[in-house]
Amino acid sequence: MIRLENIGKRYKDLTVLDRIDWRIEDAAFVLVTGRSGGGKTTLLSIMGGLTRPDEGKVFIDDVDIWRLSEPDLAALRNRKLGFVFQFPSLIPTLRVLDNVLLPIAFSGRTPDREDRESALSLLGMVGITGKEDAYPSQLSGGQQRRVAIARAMINRPSVILADEPTGDLDETTEAEIMGLFQRINRQGVLVVMVTHALDYSSFGTPYLLKNQQVLPYEGESSPKGAKSGAS
Amino acid sequence: MRQLLYLVRQNLRRRPFRAWLMIGGIVLACATLFPAAILSKGIQDTLQTSRERMGADIVAVPAQSREEALAALISGEPTTFYMPSSLEAQVRQIPGVKRTCAQVYLRSLDAACCVVQVTLIGYDPERDFTIAPWVLQKTGERQRNNQIIVGAKVISAVVGTPAKAIGQRLIFMGKPFTVASILEPTGLGADYTVFLTMETAYRLVRESPLYPVPIRQDQVSTILVQVEEGTDPAAVAEDIERNVPEVKALTSGRLTRFFSLRLQGLADALLLAGGIFGFLAAGLVGSLFALSVRQRMRELGLFRAMGAGRGVVFRLIILEAACIAGIGGAIGVLIGACATYFSKDLITGMIGNVYVWPGNRDFLAIVLLIMAASLITGILGGLYPALRISRLEPYEAIRRGE
Repeated sequence: MIRLENIGKRYKDLTVLDRIDWRIEDAAFVLVTGRSGGGKTTLLSIMGGLTRPDEGKVFIDDVDIWRLSEPDLAALRNRKLGFVFQFPSLIPTLRVLDNVLLPIAFSGRTPDREDRESALSLLGMVGITGKEDAYPSQLSGGQQRRVAIARAMINRPSVILADEPTGDLDETTEAEIMGLFQRINRQGVLVVMVTHALDYSSFGTPYLLKNQQVLPYEGESSPKGAKSGAS
Repeated sequence: MRQLLYLVRQNLRRRPFRAWLMIGGIVLACATLFPAAILSKGIQDTLQTSRERMGADIVAVPAQSREEALAALISGEPTTFYMPSSLEAQVRQIPGVKRTCAQVYLRSLDAACCVVQVTLIGYDPERDFTIAPWVLQKTGERQRNNQIIVGAKVISAVVGTPAKAIGQRLIFMGKPFTVASILEPTGLGADYTVFLTMETAYRLVRESPLYPVPIRQDQVSTILVQVEEGTDPAAVAEDIERNVPEVKALTSGRLTRFFSLRLQGLADALLLAGGIFGFLAAGLVGSLFALSVRQRMRELGLFRAMGAGRGVVFRLIILEAACIAGIGGAIGVLIGACATYFSKDLITGMIGNVYVWPGNRDFLAIVLLIMAASLITGILGGLYPALRISRLEPYEAIRRGE
């Protein structure tokens, strides 16, 4: 469960998020949409412990993450959160399998055989088989995104935060990737996805970030004015 | 740590141009600093050894032949310079002088015996106090006129090993001599010298019509002086020069200063070049690292997003800097060592035969010192970018890296 209390964020004089209260239940699939530069990525980053809010609190499983020490917050990101970004986020100097195992390495232990099997299984799940020794540059954009999803899943997180993961993909690949997120969500993982596409509402509950507020989305022209929502 | 090392290795392997550019800078600095350090250490050792081994506190030489005398005393260059032997008595009168002895230098005309040309020195075995401490195999008998004592380098050039030297017959200026004793290496001109009795020296010149400089029985080349205990040799030397103007009185300090001037210029030039290259290498590593970190900002931000703490990112960059510096340092030291080894003869030729190469322990110490300096340079080069990136919030690093 993720809970935001009174979250605010400003960049110099520009208020991006203004006293947002939001609660997302476990195993939910939440889509956040809104105009470019509206603060969607900032919201996701605050939820994921990547950027500190100017005010307010973020609770993940009742832990106030911004009160944690830096190492504890890093450990929380490592264990409980998985990120998928809108850009190619694989490390170009590492092979596919090593990319997937990277979060395990950052957890302070050396990946063992079981971890490798788990990584191969995840790669199989996302449809990347036989390419574990390839470097990212040898993969297509869609394949790279799939590997990034496998990497986000390697530590069995309870939350996946995806920032426009299909932004630069063709329609077929986009549908496949969305299908993958749906499968992940059905395994009980909470998914928060920032997206421009408004036709994903069949995958999860859509929200609109507008006027520095998160609003339940009910169609292109009629967002509700309410400030809070539930999955 | 193993995981970090793997990340570093992969990064260096997959981004070879930048890595080798930084390594190249370090290599250049270390390859220059290493010979400079070896040479400097050698100079120090040579000066120290020379001071310790000269035997006499003061060497008085003919005033007009100061440079020649220095060359002969320091590096054993065959030469001739003479002054009246009566000056020894005048020198002995100077307050603070405990005892004196004289030597006469001859230049070996026929070097048929030897690869190296040697200086023949006539000395008085009864009164000399400079040779005896260096005699390696003492027979206890007084040196006879047909016997010689030979320096360490002459031994290695003529008969190979000291064990085979005693009893060997060598011919100088057409006369046969038997090796009675050999000298320990002194690091001075004595290493290239054959010592014979004063009487034999005069006789050799008399009987050799080709000898270029006529020497009379009443001429000597040097007057060696030992001062009273507690007396300052420099003060006594000044007194000698004031009271006996025909001589220049050289103390061990003045002798080694002359020697040092010949060497120090080369060592200083190398040290300066090494220092400049070191400084440039630090700047190069620092700026390339800063550039590298800026280019990899998103990657490092992603590491943070995946759960790497600030300390992990900091350590990763420092480890990478240390690896680059370590590899560069090792290659640089290796190149420097090879260059030093292969130019040994050249350096010896420039400096003179008496140059003392640093021993294995000093050599190892210099290797470690250069490696440590290289590591420190690398780590300092990586420090600022490492601090900067590790202080950024992950999102900020990702955003700036876009």
